[in-house]
Amino acid sequence: MEQATGWLIDLYPDENGLVLWLLCDDGRRLPARMSFPVTFHAAGDFDQLRQAWRFLQEKGLLLARATRCDLFSGEREVLSATLSSPGALPGLFASLSRQFPGLDYYDADVPLPLRFAARTGVGLLSRCRADLAGNRISRIEALDTPWEVEPQPIPLRILELGPDVNPVLRPPARLRIRYGRVDYSLGLEPLRALEVALGALLRQFDPDLILSEYGDTWLFPKLKEWGLGLNPNRDPDREVLTRRADSYFAYGQVVYRGAQTHLYGRWHIDRRNAMLYGEYGLEGVLEQARVTGLGVQEMARKSPGAGITAMQMLTALRTGVLVPVVKQQAESEKTLAGLIAADKGGMIYQPLIGVHKDVAQIDFTSMYPSIMVNFNISPETTGKAGLPDGLVPQTLRPLLGKRLALKKILGELHPRDCRVKALKGRAAALKWLLVVCFGYLGYKNARFGKIESHEAVTSLSRELLLQAKEAAEELGFVVLHMYVDCLFVQQPGYRQAADFNPLLSAIAGKTGIHIALDGVYRWVVFLPSRRDARIPVPNRYFGVFQDGEIKYRGIEARRHDTPVWVVQTQLAVLEYLAQAATLEQAQAYLPKAGGIVEQAKRNLKAGRVPVEDLLVTQRLSREVAGYKSPSPAARAAKQLQEAGKTVAPGQTMRFIYTRGVPGVWAYGCGALDLRVVDAGMYIKLLDRAVQTVLEPFTPTATSAVCGTHAPLLFTGAARQAANTICKS
Amino acid sequence: MGRTLPTITQQISDTEAALARFRRTLRKSDQYILDGMFAAARRHTAAISHTDALLPFEAALLAILLEQAREIATLRQQVEQLNCGTGYRLVD
Repeated sequence: MEQATGWLIDLYPDENGLVLWLLCDDGRRLPARMSFPVTFHAAGDFDQLRQAWRFLQEKGLLLARATRCDLFSGEREVLSATLSSPGALPGLFASLSRQFPGLDYYDADVPLPLRFAARTGVGLLSRCRADLAGNRISRIEALDTPWEVEPQPIPLRILELGPDVNPVLRPPARLRIRYGRVDYSLGLEPLRALEVALGALLRQFDPDLILSEYGDTWLFPKLKEWGLGLNPNRDPDREVLTRRADSYFAYGQVVYRGAQTHLYGRWHIDRRNAMLYGEYGLEGVLEQARVTGLGVQEMARKSPGAGITAMQMLTALRTGVLVPVVKQQAESEKTLAGLIAADKGGMIYQPLIGVHKDVAQIDFTSMYPSIMVNFNISPETTGKAGLPDGLVPQTLRPLLGKRLALKKILGELHPRDCRVKALKGRAAALKWLLVVCFGYLGYKNARFGKIESHEAVTSLSRELLLQAKEAAEELGFVVLHMYVDCLFVQQPGYRQAADFNPLLSAIAGKTGIHIALDGVYRWVVFLPSRRDARIPVPNRYFGVFQDGEIKYRGIEARRHDTPVWVVQTQLAVLEYLAQAATLEQAQAYLPKAGGIVEQAKRNLKAGRVPVEDLLVTQRLSREVAGYKSPSPAARAAKQLQEAGKTVAPGQTMRFIYTRGVPGVWAYGCGALDLRVVDAGMYIKLLDRAVQTVLEPFTPTATSAVCGTHAPLLFTGAARQAANTICKS
Repeated sequence: MGRTLPTITQQISDTEAALARFRRTLRKSDQYILDGMFAAARRHTAAISHTDALLPFEAALLAILLEQAREIATLRQQVEQLNCGTGYRLVD
């Protein structure tokens, strides 16, 4: 009997059980097989169950009657069906549920890696030890958990590859490949030579991860289209798994997801088609794959919501709770008064408009997940006292603990420490999981969601924020703004981080939730509405911390559709203003800030701005034919269609504003004549962006916010002065 | 997302829209004042929402009054400062 120790990097079904790939400590990439019967359950009308029993009996499944726990309805009599070949389950379940749609099904669509992790304790990316007889695993055990704060790094072999040019723009001529520090460039013609060379590189380096650019949407589909005999899988008996592109509606917008190519025995990630890759990089993807148990290829392309659902399924499997295939819980009956009281989001204040100096921003750390964990908010525990931790807190507690531990380590490291980037990526990946876990409590399709528990979280958050406000005011602070989980507070003479420690302690003591200082602003500007300067906007502000770092929300530089040239100029102006040591000195910087803008305009008019910096990015919200008065994005999409390219709702369109008709030039649609760029339109966009950051500093505006200006009806001056009255 | 009821911000906008003909009939200078009253209500959407009132516009009117009272207090303070040393004093 041989023993192998290493990491589990892949797992998928075959005819008789599972195929597992171990990345062994001795460097081998070891394929092994393991028998792994899977069980699912059905419940409901007795007659239908009896017919389903007969149906399954004919298929040769092992059947039993059992009592299992449904999270919402408690103990339930179920029909349990076990089949030895996990790969056959999806097809079997599809025909069963078609035949008996009235039954409730459980544990029927749980991803295989989660079943494996629940039964063996070994998740994908776990360190493990396996007993092998030939190529069959007789026993496997975990050597770590996903909650190790600093897990032993996996010695991955990474091969990067991508085309020499964006395939949307023009057909690539070469394939660029990098392994370690060595670069290769392969011509795409002749195809036979490409096939031989690429195959040789894959055999030579045998990568664990192919990290591509346009691999999902161009390279692997093209390899198939060209009919090359190259198999990029590590498992030679498998063909690549291809999933089609689709568009779907989520979070209030249409989202486009490109086609996907998954490999067997090794991973493929297309950086251009990976969800939030830009936010947290490969380290973040690995972290999410580790804690969710879903695996790298899945997690790289799935939303954090899918990750949280996977984690909840795992908790359910481990604790003997049934995983429903479809959600069965509707909203409970409420009175109108009850609905009005409950149907609310987080507390969002309206800030005091204007420029404020020496302002501290303090944030509750992971407020919503902390509430869920501390107050035991879970669908089955909401509104009931004295119960043990529910499914949601059980799922979140280690996740929250790990993120806080990573943040603690980050806080102790020097910003230039080589570990900072990876740790930040991992912390951001965990943050995204924690962010969506709250939304999933109220999501209509979430299997373990219930709107009342979602509402309980927001209700508690509003109460805690009010307690924080009261604590701040008791200590003499003016609360300039509050936004869901953070407060902006000010008190004359308080400008060092340590000045705010008593406040942090008071709030933490009062609420029981950890709160931290995000920073102290030298100055911060809360902007008014564009429609009426007397109306404040909750999430539209910018400011400079004492170390010179700029923070901005809701202004043009944060918008995805703002051209890079406008973003860069707006930020250049802000960074220049940030050089002023105090708010008072910032006034003297205004003339030169205007000079930065004029120089940017001269560059534009002289054609010195790269075309890429003028690109506007907008999302296509429907089919091109569905627009009655086409938006610029729709006009760009039409151009692409006319050029023979495929466009789909949810896809982002990149274009340049041009003079004349149709007013746009779609990126990737032939060559652009620079003379037709609509400079006037770009200058208008820039002026608007610059006005956002400079206008609050103009003498009229400044004097108004300082409370020295004669008050107009309902101006910021009146409010500010009244605050002074209240304080005195 | 996921809300059944309109938010307070939406309800204030709806009320404003319902009064569009009233506003249109006012003089321009009065339209500005009316807009200011709605702006005053919008400054307190969090507080209005927190009342859980069936008719939130009552709380919105209170928010408008609050802003007026605040402005009166401000103006009073400034008049007091201007009169300082003159022997005149505002009567409470």
